[in-house]
Amino acid sequence: MIPLSWVLVSAALLFGLGLYGALARTNAVRILIAIELMLNAVNLNLVGFSRYLSPHDVTGQVFALFVITVAAAEAAVGLAIILMIVRQRDVSDVDRINLLKW
Amino acid sequence: MTEHAWLIVVLPLVSWLLISAFGRRLKNEGDWLGVVTIGVTLVLSLVVLWEVAGGAATRVSVPWLVMGDWQLDMGYLIDPLAAVMLVVVTAISFLVHVYSMGYMHGDARYRRYFATLSFFTFSMLGLVVADNLILLFFFFELVGLASYLLIGHWYENLGPRLASLKAFIVTRIGDLAFLVGLAVLVLATGTTGIPELRELVEHHQVPATVLTLAAILVFGGAVGKSAQFPLHVWLPDAMEGPTPVSALIHAATMVAAGVYLVARSFFLFEPSATALSVVAVIGGITALLGATIGVLQTDMKRVMAYSTVSQLGYMMMALGVGSLVAGMFHLWTHAFFKALLFLAAGSVMHAMHTMEMHSMGGLYRKMPVTAWATIIGGLALAGVWPLAGFYSKEEILNAAFYSGVSGAGFAFWAGVISALLTAFYMTRAVILVFFGRPRDRHRYEHAHESPPVMTVPLAILMVLAVTAGWVNAPISHHWFGKLLGEAEVHLAPIVTVLAVGATLLGVAAGYAIYALRLVDRRAVINALRPVYTLVRNKYYFDELYNATVLRGSLRLAEWAAWFDQRVIDWLVNAVGYVAVKLSEAAGKFDLSVVDGLVNGAAAVTVGAGRRLRTIQTGFVQTYILTFFAALVVGLVVFQLWRL
Amino acid sequence: MTGLQIAFLALSAVMLFAAWKVVTSDIIVHAALWMVLSFVAVAGIFLTLHAEFLFAVQLLVYAGAITALVIFAIMLSDIRELRGEGEPAGAGLGRRVRRLVSRRLGLAPAAVAVGFAAVMYSVYRATPWPGLPPGDPAPSTLAIGRELFGTYVVPFELASIVLLVAMVGAIVLTLREGGREKEEKRP
Repeated sequence: MIPLSWVLVSAALLFGLGLYGALARTNAVRILIAIELMLNAVNLNLVGFSRYLSPHDVTGQVFALFVITVAAAEAAVGLAIILMIVRQRDVSDVDRINLLKW
Repeated sequence: MTEHAWLIVVLPLVSWLLISAFGRRLKNEGDWLGVVTIGVTLVLSLVVLWEVAGGAATRVSVPWLVMGDWQLDMGYLIDPLAAVMLVVVTAISFLVHVYSMGYMHGDARYRRYFATLSFFTFSMLGLVVADNLILLFFFFELVGLASYLLIGHWYENLGPRLASLKAFIVTRIGDLAFLVGLAVLVLATGTTGIPELRELVEHHQVPATVLTLAAILVFGGAVGKSAQFPLHVWLPDAMEGPTPVSALIHAATMVAAGVYLVARSFFLFEPSATALSVVAVIGGITALLGATIGVLQTDMKRVMAYSTVSQLGYMMMALGVGSLVAGMFHLWTHAFFKALLFLAAGSVMHAMHTMEMHSMGGLYRKMPVTAWATIIGGLALAGVWPLAGFYSKEEILNAAFYSGVSGAGFAFWAGVISALLTAFYMTRAVILVFFGRPRDRHRYEHAHESPPVMTVPLAILMVLAVTAGWVNAPISHHWFGKLLGEAEVHLAPIVTVLAVGATLLGVAAGYAIYALRLVDRRAVINALRPVYTLVRNKYYFDELYNATVLRGSLRLAEWAAWFDQRVIDWLVNAVGYVAVKLSEAAGKFDLSVVDGLVNGAAAVTVGAGRRLRTIQTGFVQTYILTFFAALVVGLVVFQLWRL
Repeated sequence: MTGLQIAFLALSAVMLFAAWKVVTSDIIVHAALWMVLSFVAVAGIFLTLHAEFLFAVQLLVYAGAITALVIFAIMLSDIRELRGEGEPAGAGLGRRVRRLVSRRLGLAPAAVAVGFAAVMYSVYRATPWPGLPPGDPAPSTLAIGRELFGTYVVPFELASIVLLVAMVGAIVLTLREGGREKEEKRP
């Protein structure tokens, strides 16, 4: 049987990779992909907890479902924003998008 | 159907939302939507009444708010009372909707009008089916809001604007009493559900004094909404709204809400002789007051308005002398003939563009349907056999005659005299408007009968005004009374004689004075000059309220201003003087020592800021990086600290 | 070591390797394709955890819909990843921080990511976890359906509204000027 800690550790590693990607890469699309990886890691945790801590109800899985829903919405809007920025300013590097700057 | 009665409430709400949201794109701005919806609710209401008459009843209640161990439910209660009221409201509302399609045609805010009409109906229906008093109170307020919106429909003009404000504020005074009454009830019993309260009261688990207090306070709400003395002043001003709205307000919704409230919470009143007496006496006073003022009004709609005040007094009187059936029966019949009268008045208004009766006359030849509508409505209102008003009025007078409540005697005679006056002023109005010679040639030439969309509702209401009373007559074995739970009916011949006599006398007097001109009006007025002036000015109620309430608050404000200027200003000035002296001393210290510190601090801040602001790169990634770095450090510190 | 454990470890390895390639590959389209593999591996892990319904949803939504979205976005915007693009913008201290981040295998992000994973690992180590409950669980799809349309029906409806709003928002954001003109011309 799979120990719970395996699931958790592999989720933590996936999250770490996603985090690294989101921080280190400058391409907006790639950052979005990295964020999806992090959300997947969260889902892994939720499903793991659901399986081990409360085997008789599926609350964790339902939560994971909601996370997937929100992730889909986020991807749609995020990519639309990126498209818009690329069209208007002809850059997709977040390095070049610094309107928040002082 | 009865268990799905919530549909009746929800449909007008949906119609309101749809017309508000999509009315612009719909054909005819969505008026048909309102008409169809209300028509469906009318059918549903009739089905409910049918089922309730067969013994069905339902109560559905779901938890709404839980505060600690106190829970507020919301739900609906369908019993005979509610079923009857549902039919009244939906029927009148339906006819008013249809009529409005003609009357409001071409109005600048046609869509808003129909949307609000639906909203008004929704509020009233919610009030009717509400199963607890707090929910009922909410709908009570919504009814007030809706009538405010509708009375002020033509808000470009000052009159409607002020009238809507007046209606809103005056009824709010009554609502406050209702709210306090609710608080008393909740404190004493811990529940607001109508069936639960009824059970508690019937098992004598509420102290008598609390009950009396609560009943009178709840009655306060009814006084405001139903325009009872002394809060009746808003109703005649509400004539500034569109006439179909007046019909709705006067016949089925706004003012009926007060009567219905008392009927719904009648179990609070029944055990308390004091509360009943209060209701009976207020009702009697209102009936007399409205009838006398109505006699001297020259504006056709205002005559109707004061007759409504008077008839509402009748209904309250009936409830006060302990007869729920008589009160509700009169509400039922009155709804039909008063709606008829108002819609007929609207038709006249449509043709003449004025309501001043002294510039009308002879309109019978121009608008026969409208004339017949007014005549039949007037006869029904006056209580001529076998029209609707006859039965309900007789029932009320009988109830007062046999009642043991103190004040019932007064109520009885007030009722008889009002009956006489009612017959008189209706005769007067009909003769002035429809018969004799036209007084304003120009307007008369332009008058015309209204389109069918307006006359058909009139025709339907004419039939109803004739027949509505038969539901509680020997011909139907007093079906209505039995439905609402009245065991038997006592009818005293003397009462019938008095009532019929008063009516006939009123009609005869009106005919003699205004048609045959047997008596010179000027002479009568001169002979009774002081009374005339008093009544003509509506007993100076508006002036009284101006002088007391308004002037009083102004006086209070003036006094407060004086106190403010003399006492408080002096104190403030004294404090200011001391402060100035102190600050001069402090200033010297400030300039030398404190400024040095402050400037130093500022210099440090500026320097630090100049360096640190470069971190604010505008790159979200940098921020996230910092955030996660802080998170990791924080977690590590937390772990170490726990060890 | 049972078959299930071997399967889990294998899937886990595939998932992590794919994720590593997502982050490090030079060409954005490759990153997107590695992402698909990673998502599929996650779906497989769901299966080993007896979450059949989520397995299906993961495949449909992530490996299907979101991947399609990403690839469309890449194609439509003609995004090319540019490498070694001069000095990052900014000045002073911020520029120095920025430089740490934006180098291709920047040190600071790596440190933070590893640090985070390490902290989580130590937390997991320190916590006593319950063993696997005995017996195979019943298929979870039915239970999820019950929960979704019972306990969580309101959040469920809200989620659909969120999706709708996101859809409308995405359309409005990417509406081209031409399209708008065409719409205005209609009466």
